[in-house]
Amino acid sequence: MFDVYVPSSFDDALKFLSREGHKTTIISHGTDLLPRIRAGELRPEVLLDLSGFDDLLRYIREDGECIRIGALTTVTDIYESPALNGPLEAFKHAAKKFGGPQIRNMATIGGNVGAASSSEDFIPILLALNAKAKLTSVNGDRILSIERLILDKGVIARRSNEIITEIFFKKPPENAWTAFDKIGRRNAMFIALVNMAVYLHVENGRIKDVRIALNRVKRKIPERAYETEKFLKGKIFTNEVLEGAKEVLERELKLTSDFRASAEYRVEVQKALLKRLLTYCYNKIRRVKVE
Amino acid sequence: MSKHFITLKVNGKEYNIYVNSDDRLIDVLRDKLGLKSVKEGCGTGDCGLCTVLVNGVPVLSCLTLAVQARNKEILTLEGLGSEEKLHPIQEAFREAHAVQCGFCTPAMILIAKALLDRNQNPSYDEIREAISGTLCRCTGYYGVVEAIKLASERMKNEG
Repeated sequence: MFDVYVPSSFDDALKFLSREGHKTTIISHGTDLLPRIRAGELRPEVLLDLSGFDDLLRYIREDGECIRIGALTTVTDIYESPALNGPLEAFKHAAKKFGGPQIRNMATIGGNVGAASSSEDFIPILLALNAKAKLTSVNGDRILSIERLILDKGVIARRSNEIITEIFFKKPPENAWTAFDKIGRRNAMFIALVNMAVYLHVENGRIKDVRIALNRVKRKIPERAYETEKFLKGKIFTNEVLEGAKEVLERELKLTSDFRASAEYRVEVQKALLKRLLTYCYNKIRRVKVE
Repeated sequence: MSKHFITLKVNGKEYNIYVNSDDRLIDVLRDKLGLKSVKEGCGTGDCGLCTVLVNGVPVLSCLTLAVQARNKEILTLEGLGSEEKLHPIQEAFREAHAVQCGFCTPAMILIAKALLDRNQNPSYDEIREAISGTLCRCTGYYGVVEAIKLASERMKNEG
């Protein structure tokens, strides 16, 4: 069906891509790719196997103001990382509900971003954190925001000679928190009907900064809800403001139905999630201040 | 299609074999090495029945290419216990009636092994979480959870 190229070194992988990138698909642990190949959705000619580069690309590092996550970091690594706790709790929320334990042991953050399907739960979090991706080729590194990297469902702005090697973002300041949730039809191993990540920064009761990302705004990929963010920014955090934000969100969303859920159902859940996640972050921020 | 000459370390033995690029680990384990405890349920990563331990961690052998398992330590149920002396987890599965048709049992036992290697005293919630990616269509999971709890208590006492 397909060939697998096992690179002898990371340099060899980059050189291979610069020659054969146009017909090559990159595989880490294949949790998304292999079922799609078997289902006949994808027919790659060559797979470039990155699974041997754990020592190089599997890490979670605090680097001054930044957190850096290597592309081969698994969902289990994320779940167990002390660096992705506290204000970055959104990662744990997503990791806990991601597939089953075996899938979590295999699936990687680089694969999550690279596959860019509508249900990739880490993308909304990375959007809410203004995260960036490092793309490496024989020509060196290129930095692209996650927002500019994800072009459409399953389509990313990676050049054919590049490998996503790292995801990084600024640590949240004091009085900021993140949260994520997704809603599906059952509690284990489900694909989200609706998912959402929020980043909230509150000072003296006023919303200093807020970023909201969810898997359907205008298109079927995770995007920022800019109008809702604009409405919230600078306002005092009250129940009335949250209710107002729900209305703005409803106007901002382009409603779409599909075989998984109707538009009417989705929008109600999205509004409820918005209020729940913002309230969760707000309570966390206040409690942190008290301690 | 290219062939790869790789070393697979399975149940403590080294096998130097040729695999095709698109051979899945499950097919090599079952068909080339004769390790029939590894079961294929769905083939798409949903059922968990093809679970094996790779470097001590439960992964799905139906979503792993054989070539990707090169040089890693693989454990299947055949590597636990023997016909004369069962592993304590196997004993516990028998005693707690955790086996009915047996199709999910190899995966469940390997998951229990990985869990107990990391956590000698798992709570019921932690046990349920560990097996949450593995389907059983006959026992209703109750016996499996009880068996893992029983195994943890015995293995702890044996030190």
